[in-house]
Amino acid sequence: MTWLFPLYLLGGAAIIGPILMHLRRKPPQDRVEFSSLMFLDAQTPMPVSKRRLENWLLLLLRCLALLLLALMFARPLWRSENEDTVSQNQATVLLLDRSASMQRGDLWKQAITAATQRLEKIALTDRLAVATLDRESKLLWSFDQDKTSASTRLAALKPQLAAMKPGWASTDLGQALVDAAGWFGSAQGLSGLKKRLVVITDFQEGARLDALRGMVWPENIAVEVVRVDAPNADNFTLSLAASASEDTERGDAETRSMTRIRLSNSRDSKASDFKLTWDKGTEPPTTGYLPPGASRVLSLPGIAGTLTLTGDAWDFDNQIFIAPAQPKAVKIVFIGEEKTHSEAATPLFYLSRALQPTPSLRPELTVVPETAQSLPAGTELVFISGARLSAPLMQSVRALAEKGGLVIAVVTPEMKPQDLEALTGISGIQSDVSDKSASSDEYQMLSEVQTTHPLLRPFADERLRDFTKLHFWKHRKLTLPKDSLLEVLAHFDQGDPAILACSLGKGRVVLLTSGWHPADSQLALSTKFVPLLYGWLEAAGFRNEQTASLLVGDVLPLEAATSIMTPDSQSLTPKPGDTIRAEVPGIYTLGKDRLIAVNIAPEEGRITPMDLAKLRELGVRVEEGELDAAASAKAEDKERLAITEQEARQRAWIWLLGSLLAILAWETWLAGRIRQSQPQPAFTPA
Amino acid sequence: MPSHLDTSALARIRSLELRAKVIVEGLWKGMHRSPYHGFSVEFSEYRAYVQGDDPRYIDWKVLARSDRTFIKKFEDETNLRCQLVVDHSRSMSFGSGPMTKADYAATLAATMALFLMQQGDAVGVTTFGQTLQEHIPARNRPGHLRRLMLELEKPAPAGPTSLDLSVGQLADLVRKRGLICLVSDLLAPVEKLERQLGLLGAMGHDVVLFHVMDRAEIDFSFDKAAHFRDAETGTERFIDPASAREVYLNRLNVHRDFIRRACERQGIEYHWTPTDTPIEHVLFDFLSARLRKKGGVARR
Repeated sequence: MTWLFPLYLLGGAAIIGPILMHLRRKPPQDRVEFSSLMFLDAQTPMPVSKRRLENWLLLLLRCLALLLLALMFARPLWRSENEDTVSQNQATVLLLDRSASMQRGDLWKQAITAATQRLEKIALTDRLAVATLDRESKLLWSFDQDKTSASTRLAALKPQLAAMKPGWASTDLGQALVDAAGWFGSAQGLSGLKKRLVVITDFQEGARLDALRGMVWPENIAVEVVRVDAPNADNFTLSLAASASEDTERGDAETRSMTRIRLSNSRDSKASDFKLTWDKGTEPPTTGYLPPGASRVLSLPGIAGTLTLTGDAWDFDNQIFIAPAQPKAVKIVFIGEEKTHSEAATPLFYLSRALQPTPSLRPELTVVPETAQSLPAGTELVFISGARLSAPLMQSVRALAEKGGLVIAVVTPEMKPQDLEALTGISGIQSDVSDKSASSDEYQMLSEVQTTHPLLRPFADERLRDFTKLHFWKHRKLTLPKDSLLEVLAHFDQGDPAILACSLGKGRVVLLTSGWHPADSQLALSTKFVPLLYGWLEAAGFRNEQTASLLVGDVLPLEAATSIMTPDSQSLTPKPGDTIRAEVPGIYTLGKDRLIAVNIAPEEGRITPMDLAKLRELGVRVEEGELDAAASAKAEDKERLAITEQEARQRAWIWLLGSLLAILAWETWLAGRIRQSQPQPAFTPA
Repeated sequence: MPSHLDTSALARIRSLELRAKVIVEGLWKGMHRSPYHGFSVEFSEYRAYVQGDDPRYIDWKVLARSDRTFIKKFEDETNLRCQLVVDHSRSMSFGSGPMTKADYAATLAATMALFLMQQGDAVGVTTFGQTLQEHIPARNRPGHLRRLMLELEKPAPAGPTSLDLSVGQLADLVRKRGLICLVSDLLAPVEKLERQLGLLGAMGHDVVLFHVMDRAEIDFSFDKAAHFRDAETGTERFIDPASAREVYLNRLNVHRDFIRRACERQGIEYHWTPTDTPIEHVLFDFLSARLRKKGGVARR
């Protein structure tokens, strides 16, 4: 049992009062009018004090009432046995933030000092785990290690901490807390220990807490946030913005030569003027003004290199690396009549215009006549429309598909069922190759489109699933054998298959029963055509996105590269199957000439200190730690708050009050009874 | 024995006259059942002629009938003259029960006055403290009873008791022989009282003394030590009743014995009258005593 206000217990000393009063004889104050004193002699008054207690039961009740009053004011509470045992030994996880923002000023030094102090305070009987956190948490000292070698923990950890430097990754505080809670759960022999998680961090606004949303924080784990503070939060944040050319597809030359970056200023920043400079110095520096808390997208001349920002207090995030565009060549072969290349009514006309180069892909379309003997070397994608392939060419196309290529064939009247069988390897396809022509006011629309299929992934977004404006005038009817491996990806609304696909070796073959040119359909003229083509390209392994910029901590896309040159000029030779993460920002060179830019996560630049209430909102039991001497005082306050809450729950004082009232009632009754039983002076004053 | 009203019930009757009537009516009712039926203080008095008596008062009819010489009292002498002498000193204001001694004395006096006046006797009232305060001579006329009652109802004024001085003054005022009923607590030096009472007796008065005391005075039934204040003199003394009781009771008994003996010596009828005694008992005892006294005379 403990007390919320133990000083009130001193009030129990007030029982001396009633004891003295009971020992004291009240000097007679009564005046009695008597008829005559002629028979009475004067006497000396009796002494005031006496040695024997009178009315001891009354005295006992009065003393008890005073004691209960003192106890009630002292507010007793019972701390459960569990809590008492917990308070003796602790299991602590020390999380040290080594994200990029810790590079500011002397934050890292403060953090290491705080960590060392904490380590020294932890008793040998306590259990300890130490980890660093940035984008992911990394154990330096586990509970299991601590169990076997607690005595050497300081000797082992201190040099590690001293040698450590803050990294460049972002802060995923939420995941680190979840991981640490998991360590508490998985470690052996921690039951009955008070679990405490000490996080030494700058607790910046950019720290991610998303992982906490998915879990209910265990009630028995208290989190103490030891905040290291920088003198100011004057910081600009640089990040790449989506380029205009990507947005518009047909960006003009000027737009293509610009880089769009997003520049943000911290809320509490005092800096507002900035200057952006390219490292090569070919472009003039850009200066500007950005008020605190604001964000702007700037288009800067220049497309690659290192852009350096000046004007704020902290340099760790002031560089952004942009790798030059390195579009990947895709060799695409169209088998059909070459003469149709420039005629607006033919399939090739639309295909050649749809396959425009992008920053990441450079399609190279080649037309191969149907009579050719084989495909050109390096062909990765084949379109067949309106042609009957020669047998060697058909063999070559099949070989390409089996090796992982993609073949898209439009079923035309020229195509025979045996051609289909040769192409897909599936026999028994009934083909009504005559055109199923609809009259001018009749048309077919697509229905039952399998948008979840990889080949139709561009239409996975619900907003792009409207196919009602896509009309088909002509199609060829295919009747598939039972249990056919041909998968129908889309039907016409009358039920005939419209798009079919089947796997062939490592690759795929796609059959279209209607062409995209205006004689067959509106497909080439619709907004669906280009996404459909790039969806096929993606299925063939050619993603049309800018993978040239990664964030620190991301896995480097090694692909077939056998060597890596890091920005700090280290040469790495990865083995097949290795996963290598980018540790520092800069330009990585993969293989011979593939350049990958790795930047600091933009949110790491949001260094305004976060409010602890955000953690509390996510259900985490948070206590704020201090680095100075006030920490112990604050801990006492926390303890006091905890026992106040506990006392408020138990409310033992109500029982004491009830007992007090009962005793007072008893005392009143008893005192009245004693008074009545004492004979009163028998007289009536005149 | 007549049924009686206890003093607490009596004390609730505020009017003294009504109070007296209640007692007297009860007394009369009781008398019809009494073995002393027909007695009265008003019997005509005959006594044997002795030398020196006025021959005018010889009852010749008796002489003729019985050949004995008896003196017959004058008519007016056969009517009793009773002077009720009531103590009005401050000490009489003490009372532990429902009635103070003063109330009790007044009620007793009023009852006697009513009783006697109903018999046609003349009654007067004298109050005294340090000296005589009021004196209403004995009469029996309409309205006189009312006057007596008013006098008796007056509150007791301050002042000590001076018995000898008051009795001496009374002897000067009451010349005609009669019954003198002295109602007092006698809480005063009584050394000279005997002589004064003897003087009254010598004047031919028939003196009856009602010694009125409160029960608390008789038993000294106080428990707590306190400062006791003398009602008459105002002096205060610290008294612990437990230790003082014995001495007090001894002294009180000595005092009382002294008075009783003095009364015996002087032929004075003494009635010990605690205030918790029903008044009709007192009156009854008084009347019984008178009867015995008269009977004794008659038999002579």
